[in-house]
Amino acid sequence: MITLSYQGKNTFLEAVNTKSGSNVLECYQCGKCVSTCPVSNFMDFPPREIMQMIKLGLKEETQMANSMWFCLTCSACAGRCPREINIPAVMEAVRHIAIEENYKPEDKHVKNIRKFHEIFLDMIKRYGRNYELRMMAEFNIRTRNLFKDMHLAPKALLKGKIPLGVKPLKSTKAIKKMYEMAEKLEKQNK
Amino acid sequence: MKKVTYFPGCSAHGTSEEFDQTVKMVMKTLDVEMEEIPDWNCCGATSAHTMNESLAYALPLRNLVLAERLHNDTMTIPCASCYQRMKVTKAHMDEDPALAGRINSTIVGEGSYEGKVAVKSMLQYCYEDVGLDAIKAKVTSPISGMKLACYYGCLLTRPKAITQFDSPEYPMSMDHIVEALGAKATAFDFKTECCGASFSISDTDVVLQLSGKILEMAKESGAHAIVVACPLCQSNLDMRQPDIEKKYKIKYNLPVFYLTQLMAMAFGYPKDKMMFAKHIIPVDSALAHIGEVTEEPKPAKSKKAVKAESEAE
Repeated sequence: MITLSYQGKNTFLEAVNTKSGSNVLECYQCGKCVSTCPVSNFMDFPPREIMQMIKLGLKEETQMANSMWFCLTCSACAGRCPREINIPAVMEAVRHIAIEENYKPEDKHVKNIRKFHEIFLDMIKRYGRNYELRMMAEFNIRTRNLFKDMHLAPKALLKGKIPLGVKPLKSTKAIKKMYEMAEKLEKQNK
Repeated sequence: MKKVTYFPGCSAHGTSEEFDQTVKMVMKTLDVEMEEIPDWNCCGATSAHTMNESLAYALPLRNLVLAERLHNDTMTIPCASCYQRMKVTKAHMDEDPALAGRINSTIVGEGSYEGKVAVKSMLQYCYEDVGLDAIKAKVTSPISGMKLACYYGCLLTRPKAITQFDSPEYPMSMDHIVEALGAKATAFDFKTECCGASFSISDTDVVLQLSGKILEMAKESGAHAIVVACPLCQSNLDMRQPDIEKKYKIKYNLPVFYLTQLMAMAFGYPKDKMMFAKHIIPVDSALAHIGEVTEEPKPAKSKKAVKAESEAE
C-alpha cells in the first residue's frame, strides 16, 4: 500500500513526533487501532485517519476534530499497533498543541469534556484532593445542565455512595504553588 | 510482618470508601502493615495529563517524594488510575533525570526525588508480594459457588512497558485470586476493555455504551457478579447500571464487588463490615450462591484464552 505524506516541511508532524516520542510516519494505515478503539464511533476521524492527517500536515482539520478529546488513553491500540506507535501519546500531543495554540472545536462534546477537566483541576487546586459532589455540581452549573444525573442523587447520597464533604490537605498552599510553577514550566516548553 | 507504603487516593474518601476499608482489613489479615503517606494529594488523574503535562507529573511526584520519606521499598495503591499516574511519572522521571529536575522544582521545599520506592497496584502487591499460597492459607469461609467475571479495566495492566504486570490483553492474576478464595472465575473476554472512565460525568453516553458491553459480556459468561479493582470501574458498572438497563431495555442485575470485599469475606470478616449498603445494585443475589455445589461441564474457553495459550506454547 502506498501511504502519502506531505512533501516539504511538515512542522505539525515534527511537533507531534517530538512531543509524543513516536514517529507517526511509521504508520502504514492497517486500521488495527480503529477496530480496537472503544470510542472510535464517537470520533469525527478514527485514529488511523488522524495518523494520516498528521502525515499530510492537515493541522487545522486535525485540531478542529473531536477525535483526540474522545481518546480515553486506555492504550488498547498502542498494545496492538504492529508499528509500535504510541497512539495515545500522539493523541495527547495533538491535544496539548490544541491547548497551547488555542484551538477550540465547536463540538458540544469537546466543550463538555474540556470543561470537566478544567473543573476537576480546579478542585485539586482548591482542596488538594477531588471533591466529587462539588465537582459534579459545578459541572452541571457550568454546562447549564442543572438536572443532569439528578435521578442518581437520592440513591447515591442516601446510600453514602457520594459523600457530602471533602477532607482537604493541610498543605493546600504547596499545591497552589505547584500549580503556579507548573504553569511557568508549560510556558517555557512552548 | 511486611511493611508497605499506602496511597489511598481521593475516591477512598469518597465513592470507594468500601474499597479502602476492605483493603485495610485484608492487609491486616495478610500480615502487612500499611503506612499511609501523610498529607498526600490527588494524582491529577485523567484531567491533569489531558490538559497540562507539567502538572500531570508534578502532582504524582509530590506523592512519590513524600513516600520516600517513609523508608519502605514499595508503595501500594488501590485505585487503578492513581496507580497508573504514579507509575508513569516514576518511569519518565527515572529515564530522564533532566525532566525529573525540572518537575522537582515545582514542589518547593518537599525534597528531591530519588526513585527509591517501587509502585504497585493493590492487585499486583497481593499477587506478587503476598502470593496466592499466603492468601489461600487465610481463607476460613470460602466463597465457593459464586461465579465471577474478573474485570481489570485498562489501567492495571496497560501499557505493558509501564505497568510490567500481567497480560495487557487477557490478564489472570485476579482470576487466580478469586479461585484461591473458592469462587469460580468465568471465561470473560472483556477483561481489559475500557469502561469509559471519567466520561461518566462529561459525556455519559460513552459510558453507557462501553460499560453496557462489559455488563453484557459478563452476563454472557455466566457470572453472578463482576469483580473489580478500580473505583471508577466500580462506579461506572454499578452506579450507571440502572441507566444502562434503561437505555438498552435489558435487565442485568449484576452486583459489582471490589476484589478486597470478597477477600475479606473469605477471610471470615462479618458481612456488615463490607459496606455493601453503598452498592447501587444489591449484592444479595450473588452472595446467595455461596455454598452452592456447582457440578457442570467446564465452560468452553474463550477465544482470547485459547489464543493466549497457543501463543505461550
